[in-house]
Amino acid sequence: MKNILRFTEISLISFLVLTGCGNEPHRLPYLGNLEMKGSDTLYHTVPDITLTDQDSQTYRISTLDNKIILADFFFTSCPSICPKVKKQMLRLYERYKDDDRVVMISHTIDQRHDSVAVLNRYAHNLGVDTDKWKFVTGEKDSIFYLADQYFVSVIEDPLAPAGFDHSGRIILVDKARRVRGFCEGTDPESVTAFFDTIDKLLKDEYQ
Amino acid sequence: MRVCVSFVFDFPFKNPIEPNNFKTNSLMFSTRTLPLLPFILFLSTGGCQPEPYSQGEVLYKYHCENCHMEDGSGLGKLIPPLDSSRLTLSDPVKLVCLIRNGLPVNKLTGQQMPANLKLNEVEMTNLVNFLGSKYASNPQTVIVPEVKKMLAGCQTD
Repeated sequence: MKNILRFTEISLISFLVLTGCGNEPHRLPYLGNLEMKGSDTLYHTVPDITLTDQDSQTYRISTLDNKIILADFFFTSCPSICPKVKKQMLRLYERYKDDDRVVMISHTIDQRHDSVAVLNRYAHNLGVDTDKWKFVTGEKDSIFYLADQYFVSVIEDPLAPAGFDHSGRIILVDKARRVRGFCEGTDPESVTAFFDTIDKLLKDEYQ
Repeated sequence: MRVCVSFVFDFPFKNPIEPNNFKTNSLMFSTRTLPLLPFILFLSTGGCQPEPYSQGEVLYKYHCENCHMEDGSGLGKLIPPLDSSRLTLSDPVKLVCLIRNGLPVNKLTGQQMPANLKLNEVEMTNLVNFLGSKYASNPQTVIVPEVKKMLAGCQTD
């Protein structure tokens, strides 16, 4: 009986040691559908749509050199979840504001109300550096398509508060514009866990 | 309440540090338990009862928290924190009308506070008392008939 116990113990320990050493370090997943082209795997990427930022400047994420993106979708007159999500975006901003590898982009889904001037005023009153955190607008169809590609649901709904139903997700995109993670911006705990996800991506991408 | 009291008196016996060192007779007066007294008092009074103004708290969650946040901290200059608005929060008449009518668009921030027309006078009373107890420097408790009068006095544009 003692021998059997001993044997189980040894095999259990060696199993743990072997599997622990044999595996590659865990990497973040690539979200979205894969496409095979010949022998190459193509990952889902976020489209490079021309947007306008809070200073009326043209903004394209392809011009971002060597940076990872934290993105969300909102509108300035939103009475429901946006302020909570913005509070959590502020937490992320505070954490990464001195880290040049990270940029933040908030897309407005209410282009009729949120003009460039409105976005500028909003950013100013939020008290953030707009070199780091952009507030962008664009053609309505483009932004709605973009939200879809970021896996954020945005629906215009006359019955919803202020006319839009949307999710409060914050999306993490890597240097090659591939979606690598997300959190629920309405849930502080989810955002705290997201810190680790972002740090992991930073570590993987900038070795 | 009985459960709570017995818990209070059980507590020192369950002290994990020195489980065998207590003597029942000198328990409440020994120097060792003295520092625990405020905690014991807290448990025997507030700790066992539900939070005061619990309906007000629920109403706050539903009607106010999305913008003013769980801790009342607001959002930058866009949404004011509640603890800096102590003047209004100490004056129930102003507060009742502010909640009822909201605020028009602020030209500096572009933000507005929505009106809350669906709150009835009982809900308004609970909400105002909750806000006062939590944030006002000089909280004044209101009762339903007073709030009914205040609501009638609010000018709606």
